[in-house]
Amino acid sequence: MLGFLIRLLGIVLLVAIGFPRASAAQSTADVQAGKVLFGHLCVTCHGFEGTGGAGPPLNRAKLTNAPDDAALRTIIADGIPNRGMPRVRRTLEAEQRQLAAYVRSLGRTAKSATRGSAQKGSELYAKLNCASCHIVKGQGGTLGPELTDIGVQRGPQYLRQALVEPAATFPNSTLGVQGPGYTEFLPVRVVMKDGAEVRGIRLNEDLFTIQLRDQSGRFHSIRKSNAELIRKETGVSLMPSVAGRASDAELDDLVAYLSSLGGAQ
Amino acid sequence: MIPNVGATFRWPVTAIALVVLCGSSVFAQVSYQRLLNAEKEPQNWLTYAGSYKSHRYSPLTQINRQNAGQLKLAWAYQMQRPGVVETSPIVVDGVMYLTEPPNSTVTALDTRSGRTLWTYTPNIPPDVIVIGSPPVNRGVAILDDFVYVGTVHGHLIALDARSGVVRWDTTVEDNKHGFYLTLSPLALDGKIIVGVSGAETGIRGFVDAYDAKTGKLVWRTYTIPAPGEQGSETWGKGDGWKTGGGSTWLTGSFDPELNLLYWATGNPAPDWNADNRPGDNLYTDSVLALDPATGKVKWHFQFTPEDVHDWDANETLVLFDAPVNGRERKLIAQANRNGFYYVLDRATGEYLASAPYVKQTWADGIDAKGRPMRKKGIAPSLEGTMVAPNIQGASNWFSPSYSPQTKLFYQAAREMATIYYKGDAVYKPGTAFTGGGGRAVNGDVASGAVRALDATTGKMKWEFPLLSPGWTSLLSTGGGLLFGGTEEGNFFVLDAESGKPLWDIQLGGAVRGIPMSYSVDGKQYIAIAAGVTLYVFST
Repeated sequence: MLGFLIRLLGIVLLVAIGFPRASAAQSTADVQAGKVLFGHLCVTCHGFEGTGGAGPPLNRAKLTNAPDDAALRTIIADGIPNRGMPRVRRTLEAEQRQLAAYVRSLGRTAKSATRGSAQKGSELYAKLNCASCHIVKGQGGTLGPELTDIGVQRGPQYLRQALVEPAATFPNSTLGVQGPGYTEFLPVRVVMKDGAEVRGIRLNEDLFTIQLRDQSGRFHSIRKSNAELIRKETGVSLMPSVAGRASDAELDDLVAYLSSLGGAQ
Repeated sequence: MIPNVGATFRWPVTAIALVVLCGSSVFAQVSYQRLLNAEKEPQNWLTYAGSYKSHRYSPLTQINRQNAGQLKLAWAYQMQRPGVVETSPIVVDGVMYLTEPPNSTVTALDTRSGRTLWTYTPNIPPDVIVIGSPPVNRGVAILDDFVYVGTVHGHLIALDARSGVVRWDTTVEDNKHGFYLTLSPLALDGKIIVGVSGAETGIRGFVDAYDAKTGKLVWRTYTIPAPGEQGSETWGKGDGWKTGGGSTWLTGSFDPELNLLYWATGNPAPDWNADNRPGDNLYTDSVLALDPATGKVKWHFQFTPEDVHDWDANETLVLFDAPVNGRERKLIAQANRNGFYYVLDRATGEYLASAPYVKQTWADGIDAKGRPMRKKGIAPSLEGTMVAPNIQGASNWFSPSYSPQTKLFYQAAREMATIYYKGDAVYKPGTAFTGGGGRAVNGDVASGAVRALDATTGKMKWEFPLLSPGWTSLLSTGGGLLFGGTEEGNFFVLDAESGKPLWDIQLGGAVRGIPMSYSVDGKQYIAIAAGVTLYVFST
């Protein structure tokens, strides 16, 4: 009996020592210092208070790539190669701890709920025929980006802007088809020397060739020296704006629906 | 047993017949005299950059403007392990020696078929410390019948050129403190010269000379003077000099007539935070002219005083002679990582000319003595400061080329900016000691170009635009050609006079290898590594 009690006490102590509560490990000072660092290094992509932008929102209890603090510190230290998350700069271990403390604190604070109804947004998504160009859970067209996990990948503000001003929110290459930082889904118009014309989104490009996919899904391989004109239509999106086709409330519904994809909200 | 006369008479006849029938290669020692006269045997490529002048120029003419469009693959060799391949093969009498990442492997190949003759991989510990670059290797040196390799665990190893068996293995410096070697050693008369990487861990850099036969240290010259030594006043009053960086990670050049060894140095540490190193930080970001017998510094020139952008000056130093203001001068030139091209008198170190060869936003120019006129507000900051050139520089380790035929200096230029951040730096041996870093401004807003510069002034004669800022080395040839590559996997040939493209091929991986040319059985070949494959082309 005594042995059992000693073992039990040991387990209790082990739990107490080995699994400290998050608030104990992440001091207020760390959170404050982390907030300052976040403002310098992370806010451009992850948004103020981690609400998301071109990078995913971080104001949630579970982060897909960082299930625990050790994983989160590793991501802060090294980035996520080929997934668009750079190592902004080398950080000291203390800075990694502070940043991790701040990011975890974002997941514990009440986040602003999206105003609309995901259910109504889903109906509007169907009505506006968004699926003709976007795939969600295997269903839809291929001209635009897949949206299956878009709620995990992008914040509500970004999604709203993407619906209203699609050309202002082009994603940058992260998967290594082209180098990092290249605009994906960039429309390109090509006029060949024989007069033939092609317009499509750029899939890839090197010094001497460019590869496009047109609206019908057909691939085009173009030797640049055979083209009379290659115009990269920077600032133009093939996606029509939702503005004028949906009310403000309906826009909220669409954002709520998109934010729900990937189980984010 | 004593062989009978008949047998000894008949054997050489048989051997000669085999040479003729099989195209075999007879191993001959690579004497210092052969290295001195490397240009006289253009079928070989005896040093990292082709000659002590570091021209990366092949006088071979069989592949030329008329037939470059007919280039085709002769053979390919797949590296044994994944990694970033930045090797420049050397070729001696039908045998190619190249290095492979990530464990400083050396492999000898048959230059006719690409088949392996021997391969050697040092015992690299799993916890090897390589901070500041990938675990690359840029090639070997050869002298007499030894092949020399610097390793990522901080050793210099001599291998038997026939078998790849270790002759000696010397620890250059302790890898636990962040020292590692990526460069191709430079073989001189009985000496092997190496430098080190590791400024990102706060090493104190040096250039070493080792006895070629025994591996014993002959001399060491630190790139950062100790207190009391000339230049030590440029480090402030603290201990910043002890951890001040000044790596020496790329192969130097040599002028046997002036008897001067030229070696370039890298950034001060911490890279982006100068709080503990107020001053110019000599001899970081400099070129040193050394006495090869003693290592004594004969002159120095600093390109970027008090650097806070990690603009190492390790780039290849190119030696050529040309008239300047009507007077024939012995010159040394470099396209520096800071965005300026520099020309100095290599006998004295006198600054003669400079010109920007990329867009740069940090200096109003270079003054009459060669010192940059730094703009205000360019230092890294907590919230980030955007400056061009980028954090990897307008140039870097990749080789330029100088053609004595066109008198042009060919340089791949990186047009790109970086948001530079300042951070704290805490020195702990063998860990990053950088004090910040940077975020690249890349993608569609960055670009690159191959630029042909007037070698004595740096004025651009032509450019060949690249899609992105690449890491391509260049090779010019007597056939009037210039070879280069892209990050997107293109390998191309330009007319060296005009920059007009003559041929290209997609190799399926970023072109980071360093091109060279050789000839065997009277046939010229061009070798280039892309991705993890070495490709060899001929017409």
